[in-house]
Amino acid sequence: MTKIETTLSTLLLDIGAFYKPKEWHFLTVNGIDLGEGKIELQWIFSKYGVKDEVVLYYALSDYETPVPSLVALIPSSTMGEREIVDMFGLTVEGAQKGLYLDKDSLPHPLRGDV
Amino acid sequence: MKKTIQIPLGSQHISLLEPIRFKFECENETIIGVDADVGFVHRGVELACTRSFEFKQVGYVVARVCGLCAITHSLAYTLAAEKLLGYVANDRIKYLRMLMVELDRIHSHLLCLAHTAENAGFEALFMQIMGDRELVMEVQEAISGNRVQFDYICIGGVNRDLTSELCDLVRKNLMILSEKVEVLIGLFDNNWSLSLKYKGIGVLSLEDAYTYNALGPLARASGLATDVRAETSDFPYEALGYTMIVESTGDIHARNFVRLREIVNSIAMCRNIVDNLPMGEIQEKVKGKPKGEEIVRIEAPRGELFYLVRGNGANILERVRIKTPTFSGIPAMMEVFKGSQYADAPAILASFDPCMSCTAK
Amino acid sequence: MFKAMVEAFKNLFKPVRTINYPAQEISLPNGYRGLIEHDHEACIYCDKCEKVCPPGAILFYQHEEGGKEYHYNPWLCIYCGECVRACPKPDEALWQSETKQQSGVKEDGVNEGWFVWEEACKESREAYAAAKKERKPKMKSEEPLCVS
Repeated sequence: MTKIETTLSTLLLDIGAFYKPKEWHFLTVNGIDLGEGKIELQWIFSKYGVKDEVVLYYALSDYETPVPSLVALIPSSTMGEREIVDMFGLTVEGAQKGLYLDKDSLPHPLRGDV
Repeated sequence: MKKTIQIPLGSQHISLLEPIRFKFECENETIIGVDADVGFVHRGVELACTRSFEFKQVGYVVARVCGLCAITHSLAYTLAAEKLLGYVANDRIKYLRMLMVELDRIHSHLLCLAHTAENAGFEALFMQIMGDRELVMEVQEAISGNRVQFDYICIGGVNRDLTSELCDLVRKNLMILSEKVEVLIGLFDNNWSLSLKYKGIGVLSLEDAYTYNALGPLARASGLATDVRAETSDFPYEALGYTMIVESTGDIHARNFVRLREIVNSIAMCRNIVDNLPMGEIQEKVKGKPKGEEIVRIEAPRGELFYLVRGNGANILERVRIKTPTFSGIPAMMEVFKGSQYADAPAILASFDPCMSCTAK
Repeated sequence: MFKAMVEAFKNLFKPVRTINYPAQEISLPNGYRGLIEHDHEACIYCDKCEKVCPPGAILFYQHEEGGKEYHYNPWLCIYCGECVRACPKPDEALWQSETKQQSGVKEDGVNEGWFVWEEACKESREAYAAAKKERKPKMKSEEPLCVS
């Protein structure tokens, strides 16, 4: 597994230069709560036909900063983005709430302070 | 005047096993737009894994995410935890785990085929396949001690050994099953009314498969050669006669054929495992607390299952991320619906083999 | 057409593949994972099974004089056998039988009755721990008195 650090502002450029649909399989978007309002976001890719090659882009952020959406580059990232919107209460451009949660359920359950 | 009509499918529908809602935007009979709602059975497993359970118990918790691929979930988590603890299982444990995963794949694929047949209007074939599926369920029940919740894999090994009587049972039942699968292959290939419902319907092109990151049998039916069994080195699949099965047409017929031929391949692999089982301990003590971050990918019956586990040296884990195959397959599924007839929607949906309790976890 | 007729006619005489359930018993395989059984004489009350149980189906009630009481909820149990593997005296004190659990009905108090026990066991532990604490400082305060 290769871990590459990036920032939210350069994410689209980094992934746009890296991602080729016929070479890389996009796995998912992941969020990890680090406590004290910090959050680590991860974008994970695996290579077709090669053993054990996984690339993980990560960026540190907080709850308020809007996260850029990858839908223009990778259409299938919409599911993962909708999930982090629900689970961590982040704002992602173009992703609505309500994939898993209802209006009356606990907001952002995976945040550390819940 | 509005030219299109909206027709919902679900959340409760006769062709669905689990709750999912599709909103189809139809122009006459043709679907031109799809919207999906998948979160009806959300149970918060990820939260429970990091709050209420210790890392040794989480393997039994994630097995409850899904009834059909319970063994794959617990295997993926166990592998991640073992990697964090720095433990490598011996060959016997690896072979026994692979045997259960392959048996699981056979019965899950049979269920999907039965369901596709039922949704195409072939009730009798559904019953016949479900009857044949009992052969595999019987073996799994005898090996693990329970029909659905196997709880077979634990950190540091497996919970039960494979005795010689069980080996005989596996050989006997798989022998009967392989004959029945041959008959099924003939039936799915040659039956005229099935071909009307399957051939050329619900096509996912190779280009779309790449764009929407299709996975599992859905991708392999379109000609995208991806299989986690060939892309990871956790298990010695090549040594046991694994071959990747790829079709090219991408329709329901191709997906059925990927599944049928994978069953044949899995049966051969199970036989190889039973015949060449290495000696060794089946359970070893693993000490320590998980620390660090680990990624595990396993080929579940429906495609790639992904686990990310992070621990900080405490008994309770920091994060367990579960990405299930159906979850990342949904964008590709919605693409397939566009342009097909509304009447074909149930059969197309069944051919994806969607698992909603996996998706909403 | 003729072939199909022959096939249909043959099916009339084939044995049925389903089981006539309530009338006919379901045969369980050897080694079926059933109920957890406990022998209170052999048990050494080390609480290991309680700690490893994933759903928390085993509880020990702490009596004030020091003894412990075993409680088991067969409907909460997932029959994984983790407790038996953790037990220092397996097969004597704790073992897994092959009997299948019957469905619970309202009278069994599957949930409500168990919640009461959970609460009671927790309180008994706390009361015991508090009593132990109380006893200890007393002994300490007695000691200097004796010396002087």
